[in-house]
Amino acid sequence: MRGLIIGLGLSLTLGGIGLYRARLLQNEFLALVILLSLAFLFIFGLTAYFWRIQPIKAARHFDRLFHLEERVSTALELNQHPEHIPTEILDRQLEDAVATVRAVKPRQDFPLRLQMREGMYALLFIALISLVWFRGETWFKAAQQARNVQHAVEAQAAQIEELIKQIEANEALTEEQKQALTKPLKEAQASLENNPSLENSVSTLTGTKEELQALSDPQAQQMSEALQQTGSDLAEQTDGPLQSIGENLAQGDTVNAASELANIDTSELSPEEQQQLADQLNQMAESLQSTNPQLANELNQAADALNNGDTEAAQQALDNAAQSMAQAGQQIASAQAANQAVSQLQQGADQVLAAGGGQPQANQSGQGQGANQGNQTDGTGGSGSGSGSEAGIGQNGNEAGSDPIAQNNGPGDGGESAYEQIYAPQLLGGDGGEQVNLPSSDQPGGDVIGEGPTTPGDPNASTVPYNEVYSQYEQINNQAIESGDVPPQFFQIIKDYFDSLKP
Amino acid sequence: MTLSADKFREQAEKIESEIGKVIVGQNEVVRHVLVSILAGGHVLLEGVPGLGKTMLIRTLGEVLDLKFSRIQFTPDLMPADILGTEILTDSDGHREFRFRQGPLFANLVLADEINRATPKTQSALLEAMQESSVTVAQQTYHLDEPFFVMATQNPLEMEGTYPLPEAQLDRFFFKVNVNLPNVTEMVEIMERTTGKETPSANKAVSGKEILQMRELARGVPIASHVKDFVARLVLATHPEDGSASLLTKKYVRYGVSPRGGQALVLGAKVTALLSGRYNVSFEDIKAIAPAALRHRLLLNFDGLADGVKTDDVINELVSSLAVQV
Repeated sequence: MRGLIIGLGLSLTLGGIGLYRARLLQNEFLALVILLSLAFLFIFGLTAYFWRIQPIKAARHFDRLFHLEERVSTALELNQHPEHIPTEILDRQLEDAVATVRAVKPRQDFPLRLQMREGMYALLFIALISLVWFRGETWFKAAQQARNVQHAVEAQAAQIEELIKQIEANEALTEEQKQALTKPLKEAQASLENNPSLENSVSTLTGTKEELQALSDPQAQQMSEALQQTGSDLAEQTDGPLQSIGENLAQGDTVNAASELANIDTSELSPEEQQQLADQLNQMAESLQSTNPQLANELNQAADALNNGDTEAAQQALDNAAQSMAQAGQQIASAQAANQAVSQLQQGADQVLAAGGGQPQANQSGQGQGANQGNQTDGTGGSGSGSGSEAGIGQNGNEAGSDPIAQNNGPGDGGESAYEQIYAPQLLGGDGGEQVNLPSSDQPGGDVIGEGPTTPGDPNASTVPYNEVYSQYEQINNQAIESGDVPPQFFQIIKDYFDSLKP
Repeated sequence: MTLSADKFREQAEKIESEIGKVIVGQNEVVRHVLVSILAGGHVLLEGVPGLGKTMLIRTLGEVLDLKFSRIQFTPDLMPADILGTEILTDSDGHREFRFRQGPLFANLVLADEINRATPKTQSALLEAMQESSVTVAQQTYHLDEPFFVMATQNPLEMEGTYPLPEAQLDRFFFKVNVNLPNVTEMVEIMERTTGKETPSANKAVSGKEILQMRELARGVPIASHVKDFVARLVLATHPEDGSASLLTKKYVRYGVSPRGGQALVLGAKVTALLSGRYNVSFEDIKAIAPAALRHRLLLNFDGLADGVKTDDVINELVSSLAVQV
């Protein structure tokens, strides 16, 4: 019974600690209680069974227990030291002891009975455990959320590890680009492993996402699309000198396209071919003028040199153009890798938030750029494709449909919903009391509370730029989230609120 | 040894039975006196007049086939009156001092109202009680065994009395308090003593048998933890001892001497045999503890002023002292 009591008490204590720290699920709590109770029951049983008892002590105990009036203990001592005791007394004492012991009825004199106090303790512990089991739903739910967060954070750490491997294996990136991209990811991975709490995880993932967004060239996507479009146009021109390059560009293989461009030997081209090449180069330059002026300029120079018959200058210009195209390809690859990482980090933050009981960020800032998918999203899709560059296209006013604050009074909803009526007492002391409402100051005879110079701002003019105000507010918000001041369940609401205010 | 344990019980029951013919009730008193005799100890009976103290001892003298003498202690009683004295005799013209034995030269001596004699006379009993011998004029005379002193004293009439000194008290094996009989016993007493016939007891055992019973009783074994309990009980009666209770520390001036422990063990052995058991139990110790210890426990002024009884202190110690297993 004592083993059971200790097992129950210990399991209740450990279970309480586990629940307090939100680390114990309901089934685990039950398993802990059962295992500890049985374990201590078993241990105490074994201890009692194998506990070495001195015969003389056992004899004295039996004497008292069965009211044998020291017969057994005396007989035992006489058996060990029979000196100076008359033989008749020895024999009679032993006979008397044996006869008395034989008359003992252990079941009647020493029935197995539970001590009231121990039984009460056991019942108390069982009642407390039952109370926790049946009424501790909040604790178990919190533990489940914590466990989900833990798994989600571990999954995100593994995903970041995979991202790092992908980036390091990307041949299109230079070593500097790989290092720049993997550095924040490695820091995020270390942070998630060191402190896998919900707040830190979300903050880390969000911060890393912003760092990677900063590394992503906002023009890269447009440049990529322009190169692909140009490549498609060139590929359609069969038998053209740049058809193969166009095919590579259309497939997004800018590196091979640049290599082929560099391999064009203008000296071996016929005048007709040179003219055709010059036309296509002009066509390329025109298409790329808005997204990559340097490349367009070099292509124009090559075309002009070909038109002028200066193959050497044309060759030099083509080499320069190929180099620029290769650089553009690297920028695009870096941006794509960064965008992919950003997308996955955003998705990871959503998953961690969802695991913690918060609402996943279903909608990102307006129309994002699904760079990894190569097509523009409309901002209403899932979080994976919705994560885009904040400096990109920007908000176009369609967030109202996403209901960011769910209070029907956000900016996207026009803020026209009626506010809750506030109770404003007007009678001092309740019904029948003195009227206490003040007359309006703009009415004759009204009380003047204060006068002084006022500096009303100019209508429709702001003294502080909205971007500056917003960034300050967002920075303070991020600090509050990182410092753990904001409960996790409010993360989504706050994020939606700031998204709706984003310039 | 020629006496068996069964014979011991049989003879003891016979003694009690014969005493019961004369003495009504007072079973505990009779039992304690019997235990004391079978253990070889002297008894001090204390009680108000008329409770049968003297009658009990006289009856005991009748039951036991022993030489019985009675000494009425008075203030003018001298030691020579008890011990005996040398007298000048003339035998065939030859004069010499010859020792004439006093009443102490008996097997069973009734020292009636012992506290009325002076301490000088009381002290004349010291050697006899402890060593069963008497020394007169540098000559030591051994008393016949068995030798018992059965003393009585009255706790009320203290004027003109001399309380027994501690050394004298300590030599008594038991101090037995004789209490008033109940109604039934009182009726029986009146019935027996107011009729034509006076009840009398017959001889039950001889002095030799008493000695055999005493020897048998000393052979009864006692377990070590019971002896340990006795030792701790004796030490706990001393207020300076660590195991002394609060009551002891507050009210006791001096605790029980080792003679108290000896009396407890010997008395318990006899009690065990009388109970049909061949070993000493804790119950035997507890049964005789007050009789064996009450006269060896000296209360201090606070105890006397507060009317504390030594029996209360002893019972509190016995019940509170844990039995170590």
